Amino acid sequence: MKRIYISCLMATGILLLTSCMKDWLDREPRTILTDEQVWNDTKQIVALLANFYDRIPSETGLGDVNDGADGRLFQWRNMANYDEAMWSGQSNEDGRNNITSYGFGSWYLWNYTYIRDINLALENIEKYGVSLTETAKRQYIAELRFLRALNYFDLVKRMGGVPLVTTQLIYDYSGNVTNLQTPRAKESEVYDFIAAEVDAIKDVLGNAGSTTRANKYTALALKSRAMLYAGSLAKYNSLMPAPITLPGGEVGIPASMANSYYQKALEASKEIINGGPYTLYKNNPDAGENFYEAVTKKANNKEVIFVKDYLLPTRKHWFSYDNIARGIREDNLGSSSIAPSLNLVESFEYKDGSNGALRTRNAANTDYIYYNNVADIFADKDARLYGTIIYPGSSFKSLSVSIQAGVMVWNAGRNAYDVVEGSDLGTTYTDGKLLTGTSGPHRSIQEVSNTGFYLRKYIDPNDKTSTRGVQSDVWWVWFRLGEIYLNAGEAAFELGLTGEALTYINALRERAGFGVNSLTTLSIERIQNERRVELAFEDHRLWDLKRWRLADKVWNGNVSNPDAMVYALYPYRVIRPGDAARDGKYVFVKMVAPRIRAPRFFQLGNYYTQINQGVLNNNPKIINNPFH
Amino acid sequence: MNRILSLYMPALLLFMLMIGCKKDNFEKPAALLSGRVVYDKEAVGLRSNGVQLELWQSGFELFSKIRVYVAQDGAYSASLFDGDYKLVRLRGNGPWVDNTDTIDVKVQGNTVVDVPVQPYFLVRNNTIEKSGTTEVKATFSIQRIADGRALESVSLFVGRTNIVDAVNNQGSAVVSAGNIPDLTAPVTITMNIPAGLAGQAAFYARVSVRTAGVAEQIYSQPVKIE
Repeated sequence: MKRIYISCLMATGILLLTSCMKDWLDREPRTILTDEQVWNDTKQIVALLANFYDRIPSETGLGDVNDGADGRLFQWRNMANYDEAMWSGQSNEDGRNNITSYGFGSWYLWNYTYIRDINLALENIEKYGVSLTETAKRQYIAELRFLRALNYFDLVKRMGGVPLVTTQLIYDYSGNVTNLQTPRAKESEVYDFIAAEVDAIKDVLGNAGSTTRANKYTALALKSRAMLYAGSLAKYNSLMPAPITLPGGEVGIPASMANSYYQKALEASKEIINGGPYTLYKNNPDAGENFYEAVTKKANNKEVIFVKDYLLPTRKHWFSYDNIARGIREDNLGSSSIAPSLNLVESFEYKDGSNGALRTRNAANTDYIYYNNVADIFADKDARLYGTIIYPGSSFKSLSVSIQAGVMVWNAGRNAYDVVEGSDLGTTYTDGKLLTGTSGPHRSIQEVSNTGFYLRKYIDPNDKTSTRGVQSDVWWVWFRLGEIYLNAGEAAFELGLTGEALTYINALRERAGFGVNSLTTLSIERIQNERRVELAFEDHRLWDLKRWRLADKVWNGNVSNPDAMVYALYPYRVIRPGDAARDGKYVFVKMVAPRIRAPRFFQLGNYYTQINQGVLNNNPKIINNPFH
Repeated sequence: MNRILSLYMPALLLFMLMIGCKKDNFEKPAALLSGRVVYDKEAVGLRSNGVQLELWQSGFELFSKIRVYVAQDGAYSASLFDGDYKLVRLRGNGPWVDNTDTIDVKVQGNTVVDVPVQPYFLVRNNTIEKSGTTEVKATFSIQRIADGRALESVSLFVGRTNIVDAVNNQGSAVVSAGNIPDLTAPVTITMNIPAGLAGQAAFYARVSVRTAGVAEQIYSQPVKIE
C-alpha cells in the first residue's frame, strides 16, 4: 500500500515536472512589453505619443533642456542671446552678453533618432495594431505624421534641406551601406513635404478642441508658418546681392516659387481664422493685462492653438523662479535672469502710431525731460509693452516693482548733475528717500536687471510660484491665433492684397489698445515690427530675421550699431532744491547695458548651420552648407 | 616603522607621479606652418580673426578640419606635426573670388607657405589723417582686381588699439557705392572723431572696401594717427 502511494506520488511528480518544463523557458516577460501589447493598447500608445510631444525641439522655451544629440532642445536661457533681452542672472552665464560672433554650429539640430522613433512607430502600428479600431489607428498615424512634419520644419529652418527619411532604415549586413545613405533634399522639397503631410492628415486628426495634442487646426497652423517661411525665403534670399544657394538646391528656393508659398500660407491661415474655434483673447477690459493673459492664462483661453502644458504640483518648471523681478521674488535666490532690452521696449509704438523711441532729452538735446512719475515716460505706449515687460512704475501680482538706478544731485559749482548710485539694492539716500530701488537696475550685481526692465510674459501670477519648493506651471505656446493673424497679414501683403492684410494687422493692434483701423497703409517694415512686439520671447525673432535675410544687417557685429548692442534705460530721481520744475522729478538715461561686452554678430555663414563633420563622414552624399 | 613610512611615502608617491606622467604624454607638435594670404606677393588686410583657412590631413581615424584663423595683416600660423596636409580656401569665407583648388603642403620643421587669393577690390594709396581737430579724413583709391561682383560700400573705421575693423572700432563712417560715381577716382571719407577717442594722444584708423554679397571686407593696413 505504502509502495503504491510512493509510486503515485512519484508519477504525479514526474507529470508536474514534465508539464512545467514545457513553458518554463517560454514565459511572458514581466518587464518587457512586446510590440503586440504596445500597439494594441491605446493607453500605451498615448504614453508613447506623450514622449514624442515632449521631444519637440525649440530654440527657446520654459525648460532647461539642451541635448543636441537627441534633439531635445528647450532652453529658456537662450532668450538672452539675441536683441530681445540680455543675461542678468548669475554671472557664470555672462557669456551670453559676450557672444563675439554666433558660432557656425549654433542652432544645430540633426535629431534623426527622433525621426527614426516616429518612423518605427508608424510602421509598427500598421503591422501590430490589429485590434485597434480603424479610426483610432488612422488618428494615431496622423498624429505621428504631424509630429514628424513639425520636426522636419524645425530641421529645415536651421539646416536648410535635410535628408527626407520617412521609413525605417535597416542594415542588411551586406557590407554595403549606400542604400541607407540619403542625400539632402532640396530646401523647397522639405517645405513641400510639410505642406503635403498637413494636407493629407488634417481631416484625420481628431482631438478637436485639444490644445496639447494636434488637431486639424494645429496642423494648419504649422502649414501657415512653414509656408510663410518658405515664401519669404524664396523672396528675400533672391533679393540679396549674392543669394545663398547650393547648386543642388539644398539651400536656396527660387524666387518664382514665392507667390505659391505665400498663397498657401494665406489659405491655411484663413482656414484657421474663419473655420476654427479660436478667437483673439479679449476677456480683460484692460488691454495690457489682457495681452498678458492671452499668452499666460489657461482658463477660457480661446486664443492658443497648441501649447506645451504644465500642471502643478508635479509637472512644473523653474522659469518664474529664475525670471521674476528681483524686488518681488519669493525665494532668497534666483530671479531677473532674462532682462528685456531697451531695443525691444522702443520697438513698441505709441498709440498714435508714432515711432516708439522713448523721449529722454528735450528737443534741443540740451537737458533731460523731467517726468513727474517714473512710469510717465511709458504713457500711451502700445499695451502689449505692459503685457510683455515690467517697466519702471508698473506692478506685478499687485506688488509695485521699485525700479530706480539712483539719484542725480545738482552740483551748482560744476553746473551739472552728480550721478549717485547705490552699492546695494533698496538703499536710501541722505535725504531719506529712495536711492536705488529694490529691483535695481544695477550695473554689476547679479540677479538684478541690468537693463531696467523685467519679463512679465510667462511669469506665473500665482502665489509662491517663484519659489524653488512650488515652481510654476505656466504653459509654453507653440502656436496661437495672434501669430496666425500676422502670418495671414504678411502673406496677403506679399501677394499685393494690402486691404486684406490691413484687416488682420489692425485687428491685433485694436486689441493692443490702438484705435479701430489704426493703420491705413502698410509696409513690410511695419509688419516686421508688428511681429517683433506681438511675438516677443515666443521663439520667433531669430527665425524671422533669418527668413527676411535681415539678421546679418541688424546684428552686424559693429559696436557703433545700436541694433547690435543691447541697451538699457536707467531712471534717476532728481535732487535740485530751489528748482520746483525739476526737483523730485525723474529723468532717464539710455546707455549700452553695462554687462554687455560684445555686439550681436550674425555672419552670412549663420543663415544655415554647419553640418557636423561626423555626419558628413558617415554619409558622403551629404554636402555641407555654404560658407562652411 | 611609522617614521620610515612617513618619510619615504611622499618620496615614493612623487617618484610614481614622475614616471607615471612620462608614460602617456604625447609629444607636442614641433613644426610651425606659417605664411601670409597674398595677392600679387602683397599681403591683404583683413578683419582680425575673421577669415579662416582649413587644413586637412588624411590617413588618421579622426578626420576633422584644423581651423587656421588669419590675422588682420594677412598672416597665419599653425603648430603642426611633420606630415602632408591639404590647405583649402573655404568658399565664401574671405573677401575674394572663390577658389577651392587644394594647396598641398608638406610640413617639415618650420615651413612657410603663402596662400594666393584674388580679391575683388583692393585699397590703394590710402592716406588717413586728422583734418582740423575734430575730424578724420581718409583718401584712397579703389582698384578692381576681379570682375563679377559689384562694390557695395567703403568704410572708415577708427579705434583705440591697432586692431581696428568692422567689429572692433570706436566709430565708423560708411559711403555706399551709389555715392561713388567714378570708381577710378580717389575716394574721400571724413568723419567726426568719436567722443571716446577725442582725448586720446593717438588712435588708429583703417579704410575698407565691401563687395556686394561678400561678408568680409578688404582693409588697408592700420594707420596710427597722433
